[in-house]
Amino acid sequence: MLEIQELSKSYGKHLAVDQVSFFVPDGQVGVLLGPNGAGKSTIIKSIAGLVRYRGRIGIQGMSSRTLDAKRLLGYVPEIPAMFDYLTVREHVEYIRRAYASPVTAEEIEEMFVRFELADKQEKTGNELSKGMMQKVSICCALAIRPKVLLLDEPMVGLDPRAIKELKEVVLEQKEKGVTVLISTHMLEMVEELWDVMFVMEKSHIIGSYRKADVGEKDLDDLFFEMTGGEHS
Amino acid sequence: MKALIYLTGRSFVNNLKKAVKKPVTLLLLIFFLAYAVVVCLFLGQIAVELRFDSVKGLVVLLSVWTIYTFLTNLYGYSSRKGVIFRPGHAHFVFPAPISPKWILIHSAWMNYLLSVAVNLLFVLAGLTVFGVAPLRVFFLFFLGSVSEILLEVSIMVCLYTNETLPEGVLKFLGVVIKFFLIGIVVFFFFYFRREGFSLSSLSAFFDWPGLCMVPVVGWNIAAYRLILLGATRLNIIGTVLYLCTVAGMVLLACRMKCEGEYFEDAAKFADDYVEMKQKKRNGELVFGMGEKKQKIRRVSAKLSGEGAKAIFYRQLLEYKKQRYFIFDKMSLLILAIGVLLAFALRKNVEASGIASAFLLGMVAYLTLIMSGYAGKWETELKNPYLFLLPDRPFKKLWYSTLMEHVRSLLDGCLLCIPMGVIWKISPLSVAQGILIYAVLQASKIYTRVLVQCMVGDLLGKTGQEILRMLMQMFLLGIGVIPAVAAGLIMGLPVVYPVTLAYSVLVTAVLGALASLRFDSMEQM
Repeated sequence: MLEIQELSKSYGKHLAVDQVSFFVPDGQVGVLLGPNGAGKSTIIKSIAGLVRYRGRIGIQGMSSRTLDAKRLLGYVPEIPAMFDYLTVREHVEYIRRAYASPVTAEEIEEMFVRFELADKQEKTGNELSKGMMQKVSICCALAIRPKVLLLDEPMVGLDPRAIKELKEVVLEQKEKGVTVLISTHMLEMVEELWDVMFVMEKSHIIGSYRKADVGEKDLDDLFFEMTGGEHS
Repeated sequence: MKALIYLTGRSFVNNLKKAVKKPVTLLLLIFFLAYAVVVCLFLGQIAVELRFDSVKGLVVLLSVWTIYTFLTNLYGYSSRKGVIFRPGHAHFVFPAPISPKWILIHSAWMNYLLSVAVNLLFVLAGLTVFGVAPLRVFFLFFLGSVSEILLEVSIMVCLYTNETLPEGVLKFLGVVIKFFLIGIVVFFFFYFRREGFSLSSLSAFFDWPGLCMVPVVGWNIAAYRLILLGATRLNIIGTVLYLCTVAGMVLLACRMKCEGEYFEDAAKFADDYVEMKQKKRNGELVFGMGEKKQKIRRVSAKLSGEGAKAIFYRQLLEYKKQRYFIFDKMSLLILAIGVLLAFALRKNVEASGIASAFLLGMVAYLTLIMSGYAGKWETELKNPYLFLLPDRPFKKLWYSTLMEHVRSLLDGCLLCIPMGVIWKISPLSVAQGILIYAVLQASKIYTRVLVQCMVGDLLGKTGQEILRMLMQMFLLGIGVIPAVAAGLIMGLPVVYPVTLAYSVLVTAVLGALASLRFDSMEQM
């Protein structure tokens, strides 16, 4: 469960997020949609505790700043940044230790196979392409066995097979009762994933839809209905 | 914390493994280690020759080191730039369920390593050069490596993780420390100007009782004096106050509440740090981290020129959009070097009676030792459009570097004119000196391109730069022979045109060879 109450964040004089509130229940996929610069990534960074903010962020009822809440949070940033001299396997091993995660060696192996990293385990961070880094980043976030999973533009840089795998992973996590929040501006990527969507524009959430309420209506139509933009 | 130790340990081991696998890195490592040992031995010898090898000499060195580290640490930590974070921290460490305080303390491990290494050097020097008793050396090491690091960590924690003090107060503290540092430099300058710079004046300064009364840093010096020189009332009081301060700061740091608000600054630092390292790797001159992006001026101009010539006009337009056109911090630096050398060498130049030879020597020397800066031409090489351009490689090289030659000409003016005016050299010789500077800079660019062609990434940027320097030294060395011969036969005024003619010839040959680099994007 992810709960955001009156979240505001400024960078100097620029107000990046203004009084934003929303809620994503357990086992649901929330999607933050909006153009570049709308404030989506800032919200994700605030939840991950990477920036100062005003307001309250709750993870399973706990303040996101507490170590107990952090233990439940998986985070895939927009731009992955590896440690130059840590191998792929060591990245996951570090995560396992840092989060005291019960993830087993077999599960890690399975993830590596799934994301085509099995033969790249001994490669160090500075030897990976951007797509590979993104895959490692996803594996690390899953190795936590999170209760809340944050994905910031997760499909950027991934090959079609990895995108397909990631979509399946999101649906599996949802089945397991994990709360997933995806920030993206690529509507087609989250078409079959979303349960609740929040449309952002100029630092605000201008509206939201629940899939249960709109039936089979196209995500594109809903988005452009709200933003008033042109449907391609 | 165990996860962080794992992270650092594995990174260190993997880094070492990679370094050892590369013979060039290993050779460089051995070379720098040997160089450091030689420098230390040389400094020890100097201390003996200057009769500085007494316990008092060590007290002076420790005092200077203490003042320097205390103030620079305080400045670094108050501006939240004293600990090296990397983008990987923002991705994997800050969101992890690890106490933000532990993250900070662990991330500064390199700072502690430096402190311990320096203290070990003091221990070695104390035992071998300064003749300090082993027990006193033990206490010296304890003070430097335990209590000083404890104090440093506490100050770091208090300044980084303080979430109650407003940002403005921390910024103000940074400004105060900056002014304090400048104040100390000014004070030193006037003190030594009045007393004269000698070992006795240096010793007298550090014997001044007021120094031990300065809070924290003075008390720290008092503790060193107590260990090395014995007990006085002032030393004992200073030491007690210092130890109480350390205990108090540790307690304060332990009790300070921190939820990780500093992560935002740390992540920004990590990005700036990577950017700075990237710029250095590209050979750019970096004056600091997080430099503000230059404001771009609006310029309404038409792009002209066809083929490779278009590169020159595009660069010209880019420079026009910059605030100070082709002038930047490097221009100021060159002007400062010119003025400084002109005044510093004035007496020697006047005594020698061959001012123009001095000017020529300075131009050649500075061209050799200064690595310079990466101009727009280097970015051209990274652009695939350069290689797609339907023109000859030599023309591409010429028009890509033409703007740099213009800049070199202006830099040459900034360097040579102050020396020419102050050393009273004829305008013709100064003009020739400027031209020689510009041509030598051009040959430097072409040699660099040539070295890149020859060794590729095999030696890294530093290796390439060393090779470039050696090649230029060789070429300049050959050039000295005809110049000296002409000078001896026909007199000093002929040296300039001969040097200029030789430089132009060599540069043209280098340019022709370097143009190969502009033919295909794929290199070694």
